[in-house]
Amino acid sequence: MRSVKPLLRSMFIPGMLLLGACCCEKDVVVAPPPPPPPPPQVELGDIFFDFDKSELRAEAVQQLQKNFDWMKQNPAGTLIIEGHCDERGTNEYNMALGERRANAAKDYMINIGADPAKMQTVSYGEERPFALGHDEAAWQQNRRAHFVGQGR
Amino acid sequence: MIGFSKVIISAALLLLAGILLNPLAAIAVEQGEYIAIRKQGTGKIAIVLDRTSAKGKTESAWAQSLDAIVKDGLVFSDLFSILPPPSNIRAEGKDKAVNFSALSSVGSEVYAGGSVSKKSGKVHLDMEVYDTFGSKLLLKKSYTGSEAELRSMGHAFCADLIEMLTGKKSYFGSKIVFVSSKTGNKEIYQCDFDGQGVQQLTNFRSISLTPVFSPDGRYLAYTSYTSGRPTLYVKNLADNTIASVVKNGVSVDPGWRNTGEVATTLSFEGDQEIYLVRPDGSITRRITSSRGIDVSPTFSPDGSRMAFVSARNGLPQIFIQDMQTGAVKRLTYSGRYNTQPSWSPGGDKIAYTTWEKSGEINIFVINADGSGLKRLTSGARENESPSWSPDGSMIVFTSNRQGGKRLYVMGSNGENQRRLLQMEGEQMQPSWSLFR
Repeated sequence: MRSVKPLLRSMFIPGMLLLGACCCEKDVVVAPPPPPPPPPQVELGDIFFDFDKSELRAEAVQQLQKNFDWMKQNPAGTLIIEGHCDERGTNEYNMALGERRANAAKDYMINIGADPAKMQTVSYGEERPFALGHDEAAWQQNRRAHFVGQGR
Repeated sequence: MIGFSKVIISAALLLLAGILLNPLAAIAVEQGEYIAIRKQGTGKIAIVLDRTSAKGKTESAWAQSLDAIVKDGLVFSDLFSILPPPSNIRAEGKDKAVNFSALSSVGSEVYAGGSVSKKSGKVHLDMEVYDTFGSKLLLKKSYTGSEAELRSMGHAFCADLIEMLTGKKSYFGSKIVFVSSKTGNKEIYQCDFDGQGVQQLTNFRSISLTPVFSPDGRYLAYTSYTSGRPTLYVKNLADNTIASVVKNGVSVDPGWRNTGEVATTLSFEGDQEIYLVRPDGSITRRITSSRGIDVSPTFSPDGSRMAFVSARNGLPQIFIQDMQTGAVKRLTYSGRYNTQPSWSPGGDKIAYTTWEKSGEINIFVINADGSGLKRLTSGARENESPSWSPDGSMIVFTSNRQGGKRLYVMGSNGENQRRLLQMEGEQMQPSWSLFR
């Protein structure tokens, strides 16, 4: 008999756990199924260019695909694509170069299916730099097409 | 039509009458002689500026102001060495005649002097200019105006003096339009040829760029972001009405072909091309058609040829297009990045900027046929946006040689480079007007 008590005691805890588990199972059936994990929210990103160039780099193409995904996720949203240049070269020429950069981005987005009516371009040339330094690190930051999303 | 012919005929008659009756016409013959003599010896013209004589307190104050205005004007021209008047400049006696031998002894070639008086409330200035060696009268002219017009009267005399001595019209009375960030936004300003009388022309609190007056001074063309994107505006300065080009895409860097046509880069057809636009904002026609950027049109004085920047071969270079045939010729082969052409008022030269390997940006001039390349700036950081004075004797430009971008002027061969004006903020994109 002495040996039965510990056995009963040891069976009591799993028994209670089993009972509890059964109760829980009942509750799970009543509760709504857990929501599926939300898809990751796509963020707009800018693309960068080589000196005096408006051709798209490989990583720019990847970013433009993400920006197109953003448009698909935000069907009511519209995009303003700003073209920017670094401070080198002359202001007047850079005004035109900035537009070519914004247009290169817009044209690629149209090619992969974006609605042209939802995208507007504006060139700022070298008038609105992002980085204010006077070295390649700053210049690289300023040779960009900047995406501004509206009405998401 | 009848009215129009009448106007032409009467204008021609007036012109004839002017030539016949104007006593200065006789002096015009001597002008040639003077210039011929001058060509023997180059260098500056030695001039004695006599004190303007006056009776009365008010008149003496006018005379003092006029003396300073005329002297500053002649110094700015860089054409003269101004000698102090000898003490015995006037001969003894009643008539106080000019003592030419005393002038010659101090090395003076030219003597200028005069008197100021008050006539029916107005300032009346009588000026005379003599060739000191021959004691010969070269110029005699009167100027009348209100007290507020002393500066323009003094400058009118400077202009007449320089035109008589050099045979060319000068820049006195001309204006320079430019962009400044003084307020924190890029706004358009103007000043006199010598940097005086700065006036703010726009207060858009946006980005306003590349202002340029039409050749007759009736319109101001510029690019501004007031609508949210760079758009060409043409302002009628008589009634302050503003027209714009209503098209998609950019508008960049206007340049006037003549009083009725301004060229600018537009991109509503996809590529950045140069178009001719009327002052009402309507488009006359497209001028360029090449893949790549075409910007910064500037025209020969007769409007028959256009110099512009094109990236059709890769990096930007300057090309010349015949406006009639459309034939295009590349102008610049030296330097990998050449922009900002400015055609001289004489028609023979084009100034432009080269971004050099050293990192400096320098101003060059080249003959319109591609010969005679000459560097005008060097060793002074970035020098940009050259624009000729109306007589072609000087160039205004931007330089950051002393820190921020400021306006400078120099002679057409690069001589005597100096700061044009003191002003807060940065100054850039100057354009010297062609009108007086």
